[in-house]
Amino acid sequence: MTFRVRSTLSGWVLTLAVVLAPLSLEAQVVTEATPPVEGLRENTPGVHALVGVRAVTAPGQVVDDATVVIRDGLIESVGAGAEPPAEARVWDLEGYTVYAGFIDAHTGMGMGSPRVEERERGPAYWNPQIQAFVSGAREYVHDESQAAGLRAQGIGAVLTVPQLGIFRGEAAVVSLGEGRTGQRILAEGPAQSVSFSRSDELGETYPTSLMGSIALIRQTLLDAAWYREARAAYEVAPAGQVRPERNQALAALEAHAQGNAPLLFETRNEDELAWTLEIVQEFDSQLWIRGSGSEYRVPHLMEGFSVPLILPVNFPEVPDVDSPESALNVGVAELRHWHAAPGNPAYLADRGVEFALTSDGLDDPADFLANVRKAVARGLTSERALAAMTTVPAGFLGIEATHGTLEAGKTANLVVSDGDLFSEGAVIRDVWVDGVRFPIEPSPLTAALGEWSLSVPGAPATEGHLRLHGAVDRPDADLTLGGQSVEVSSISVQPGARRLRMEVDAGPLGHEGTARFSASLSGGELHGWAELPNGARLGWHGTPAGEVTPASGNGATASPAPLDLPDILPLLDYGREALPEQPEHLLVRGATIWTMGPQGILENADLLVEAGRVVAVGEGLDAPSGAQIIEAEGRHVTPGLIDAHIHSGSGGGINETGSAIVPEVRMGDVVTANNPWMYRQLAGGLTTAHLMHGSANPIGGQNVHMKMRWGLPAREQHFEGAPRTVKFALGENVKRRTERYPDTRMGTEQIIRDHFMAAREYEARWGAWEADPSGIPPRRDLRLEALVDIMNGDILIQAHSYRQDEILMLMRVAEEFDVTIDAFHHGVEAYKVAPELREHGAAAVVWSDWSGFKIEAYDATLYNARLLHEEGVVTSLHSDNSTIAARMNWEAAKMVRAGVDEEDALAMVTINTARALGIQDRVGSLEEGKDADFVIWNGSPLSQFTRAEQTWVDGRRYFALDEHRDLEQRVARERGELIQFILDNR
Amino acid sequence: MTTRSGTIREGTLRLGRQIMARMGSSGRRSGGGRSWPMGRGLALSLGLLLGVAPALAQTPHPAPPQDGAVALVGATIHPITGPAIEEGTLVFEDGVITAVGAAVTVPTGAREVDLRGMHLYPGLVDAHSAMGLFEIGGFDQTIDLNELGEVNPNARAQVAFNPETRHTSPARSQGVLITNSTPAGGLISGTSAAMMMDGWTWEEMTLRAPTNLMVNWPFPGDEAEYDEAIETLRDTFDEARRYWRAADGSQGSVVPSDSRWEAMIPVFEGDLPVMVQANELRQIQDAVSWAGEEGVRILIVGGRDSGLVVDHLARLEVPVLLSSVQGSPSRDWQPYDEPFTLPARLHEAGVSFGIAGGTSAPYTYRLAWEAGTAVAFGLPEEEALRAVTLYPARFLGIDDRVGALEEGMDATFLVTTGNPLEYETQIDQAYIQGREIDMMDVHRRFYEKYREKSMQRGGFGADGR
Repeated sequence: MTFRVRSTLSGWVLTLAVVLAPLSLEAQVVTEATPPVEGLRENTPGVHALVGVRAVTAPGQVVDDATVVIRDGLIESVGAGAEPPAEARVWDLEGYTVYAGFIDAHTGMGMGSPRVEERERGPAYWNPQIQAFVSGAREYVHDESQAAGLRAQGIGAVLTVPQLGIFRGEAAVVSLGEGRTGQRILAEGPAQSVSFSRSDELGETYPTSLMGSIALIRQTLLDAAWYREARAAYEVAPAGQVRPERNQALAALEAHAQGNAPLLFETRNEDELAWTLEIVQEFDSQLWIRGSGSEYRVPHLMEGFSVPLILPVNFPEVPDVDSPESALNVGVAELRHWHAAPGNPAYLADRGVEFALTSDGLDDPADFLANVRKAVARGLTSERALAAMTTVPAGFLGIEATHGTLEAGKTANLVVSDGDLFSEGAVIRDVWVDGVRFPIEPSPLTAALGEWSLSVPGAPATEGHLRLHGAVDRPDADLTLGGQSVEVSSISVQPGARRLRMEVDAGPLGHEGTARFSASLSGGELHGWAELPNGARLGWHGTPAGEVTPASGNGATASPAPLDLPDILPLLDYGREALPEQPEHLLVRGATIWTMGPQGILENADLLVEAGRVVAVGEGLDAPSGAQIIEAEGRHVTPGLIDAHIHSGSGGGINETGSAIVPEVRMGDVVTANNPWMYRQLAGGLTTAHLMHGSANPIGGQNVHMKMRWGLPAREQHFEGAPRTVKFALGENVKRRTERYPDTRMGTEQIIRDHFMAAREYEARWGAWEADPSGIPPRRDLRLEALVDIMNGDILIQAHSYRQDEILMLMRVAEEFDVTIDAFHHGVEAYKVAPELREHGAAAVVWSDWSGFKIEAYDATLYNARLLHEEGVVTSLHSDNSTIAARMNWEAAKMVRAGVDEEDALAMVTINTARALGIQDRVGSLEEGKDADFVIWNGSPLSQFTRAEQTWVDGRRYFALDEHRDLEQRVARERGELIQFILDNR
Repeated sequence: MTTRSGTIREGTLRLGRQIMARMGSSGRRSGGGRSWPMGRGLALSLGLLLGVAPALAQTPHPAPPQDGAVALVGATIHPITGPAIEEGTLVFEDGVITAVGAAVTVPTGAREVDLRGMHLYPGLVDAHSAMGLFEIGGFDQTIDLNELGEVNPNARAQVAFNPETRHTSPARSQGVLITNSTPAGGLISGTSAAMMMDGWTWEEMTLRAPTNLMVNWPFPGDEAEYDEAIETLRDTFDEARRYWRAADGSQGSVVPSDSRWEAMIPVFEGDLPVMVQANELRQIQDAVSWAGEEGVRILIVGGRDSGLVVDHLARLEVPVLLSSVQGSPSRDWQPYDEPFTLPARLHEAGVSFGIAGGTSAPYTYRLAWEAGTAVAFGLPEEEALRAVTLYPARFLGIDDRVGALEEGMDATFLVTTGNPLEYETQIDQAYIQGREIDMMDVHRRFYEKYREKSMQRGGFGADGR
């Protein structure tokens, strides 16, 4: 089978890459194979030579006018001007650039039909989301359209990861070439895939939340370590020992739990990245990350980042600013992310972070190269981009000996492009995988372009002129017949068949309607025929009459230069450009100071702060030299307000509903800095908040104390040194879920009691083991461990409650186990058991006046806090509401209306709240040694007509009214600039 | 506890003693249940000081009609429609104010009450409320807000108003004496009714009904669906208008009746404004245009984005009833105080506006604080007061009866220790049409009951702090 592949027509360069035979016949690779051959063997030489190419052999290394020889699926040689072997099929590719085939280190290739129904066979883990035993190689079902989509982007080899579960199984490295699955698999199990999200296909059970996923990941890794020890201890001396379970998931995780094999975490945003780093730190595991594209938002994590990072180019859609009304709903955060995301790869490259690029995360993998180009336009060098698609992923996946560069001996994976692939407009013509050529874009029929003289014998006008210009694959046509311009309604060029087709107005030919012209391009001439509206046919002929220059590329325009915007944190509308200064000394002078401590309220007093701590409060304090001084005459100063119950600031939900008892889950694991509420709350004088788990469980998750350090990373917003706390919940919310115990308040009591007993027994088991560590060790159980800490007072109990019966019930259960309930939250009927609360020693953290929103809130009273306070219960007001958390002083002020003394009322949002949360040594009052968290108000904090002017946390001014007005201007300006940028470039 | 709060406490005690001394000769007030014991931090309970011994409340009940003329003397009177009157006198008889001013002679036979040091304000008006129609959230049997279907102009709020609702008593004891109870849901929800917060039956409690027709403006999500929904509203009004013309021109012949369109006739005759729930910019502008086309009077309720179109609203004199002043910005780019400053911005632009409470009936009593928030963020204090008295009364067409203190208007007012928008102010007494309202509300009743529990166990415990 022979045919010409080198051809010159009419002096123009015509590159035809026409393949008439089935690909598989052309590129049989001689290899050892297990299947016997049926029928005749086919042994066409699998030798090819790509001649005259610009070969980018490795990032930054180029051989011009190179000949690349491929033999039996491998690269035989790459040499400048080398002669192709005689048996080679020669591909004249002058003007083309050849790269090593790309490697995508994170895909779901071939994972589209998981065997879900079989996942619980054998010794499975109790939780169906733990699929660690799944093998990507064994799950693989080839999907040719998926493969073709990736190949069209130049990708020849991929890492494919199983798609279901939290521990999702072992990945596999797969070739996108031809052959049976066994021939495709390059490597099994370079990494275990881990995701934060549960797969509903495997069951809609625990975990239902991100913090639940994190808890399950931690528990599973602990279990894997325990499993190895337990099996070993048993196998040494099975007699006399209770046989430990067999578990295929835990067995599969042994190496990972010991840090001998990587865990590949798929992160969907920068928060999940931060959480991953924390989890892995705890276990000393090897880590790979599939990034999110938002890494630039966490610069503190990217300094010195050395984890293998696989980065998507999933740049966001243009925000909808089409109409001024729709633009109203677009803020700086969305606009900035859209603007900044294409710069993420360059941002990381500039910081020395090594990464591979992946098509994963794109809705359509066809956007991959286009988006890589956007990244290059935003400063990623072509060399780094190429490395991120070749050598870097090859290194991650351990296939650098065979993939990633154009070198003799390597697998013949190649990308043939009609120019620099990282500039706009370049098109991939062919992709080679394992020595097999896959045509991607047919070579255009450049020969059709130009000026043609036409003769149309038999037509009224027999002479004509045709000018074909514009893009080679879809040219524009100007046609005249007999000197008269003729409208061409459509035109197409079929490069393989070398055929041109046009539909033209038949008027000049003497007919009403459309005439259809078709021609074969051969020997530099057009040999045509046409069909007229009346069914008559005529022939036509075209000869060259001049050249035109083809339009370049796909009509793509260059990326506009990005705007120069200041860095802000968080990347939200009111983000900061810098952390506020912490003056060494600060003196607030001449104010009415509500110390909320033994000094009471002082008129015309001063507050002295040193390095973030209160030094003194009193009259006529001396300012150390260099101290910053705030003249606060006529102003009121109070401690920063504290809200014991908020939910804003979670980056992953607030309820783990999958189980009734979940103290192992922790809100602290899922805090996000992307929390626009924080700034609003600061503006209302809030400096500390207790971010709480929801109320779906009798024993819920652990909460976290936050300081309102706007602009700092989430982890640094945690209130360091604050005690651990846990959410309990009673009443309607916990019994609302059908098919989950409990359904009544009776059951709620019993399940709490039962778990208290279980915790005591767990503690005893460990005690026994520590006294005599022989045999099978006890298993660490994070849930029971947390319960033990709760019962030993190391985790403070914060119980959601409404009715008096349930409040009393929980106190009595706790007392039975010598446990104290530290605080009841909501406590709509707490006033009904005020003496009992005082006797038990529980604080009451209640709403000022919420009522009537459900039956258990029907007996609410505005005087709840007052009666509790009068009874002697430590009484605090909470918001449980992001909006109200921004004006807690007015919640306290309502108590003044209810008859509470002013200072006592303010205590309910300062020192009493600190007491209820176990942080009274640090915050809640302005006393020597305490944190310099304070608010300057323009009047009494309990007046309806007052507002906060400044809010300080740790001796840093995080909010100031005048600064806020500047910020408001900046937000308006930036929105305007970014929207204009979209309008200018759409 | 401290110098400062101590001063306040002593001050209030002093004031209280003065009042008690003056009231000594004025005779006992009618009704029981005035035994509200204030905490040690607040001895200013007129009831206590009047000499009624602390005891468990008697069953509270609606107040009887006014019996004989009463003259309140010496208080600072805030008529709202004019400047404050220091040491003024307010006389009312048969539920109506007969005289108000600084130089009013107390009529013979009138019971004279010395209220020096106190303040008189008109009762507050919440012009958009679920009061009487909503009892307990999540418990459908107790909620009568949403009738079935999209078009219910004939649904009348007053007939479903539950006089026994728990939510009226805290509202009136915090100063809200009138609510405009409004149906919800669908495209046209029904007509609202201005209700007084005391009475034996809904009939007695109705001040005026209907006050307006409630329309929920479609939500502008998908453009095509939005256009279609507005078209439906136009068609609906057109059908109703054609019915009205048919009935109007029938000259005695029988036109088959349609309750829905019958209820809308007052709208076309110009007697009944349409209250349109609209928060988004497009909703507000489109509702205003629609009302212009239809030739109906409009009152925007919600009005979240009204700050973006102040010129439009001012030019066409469209009133706005803001329903979420103590809220948060709806968009991340907006400043934290966007809702707080909205009333001031409307005021400066000359837009006619009032402030409503949230629609949750239990929270009606927070109305004053919604308005007070606007003062903290730039609205003049007197405008904030008008925004919860006079202006909403005008919007509801009840300003001849309530919303100000003028001769001939209802004696529906508050006796307070100061501005009702401020937390430290105590609402001491409320009058509705001259009837002296029992100030024992459900919140206080629970307090009293469980205070008794503490007392039975030997008194309150130690100071909670």
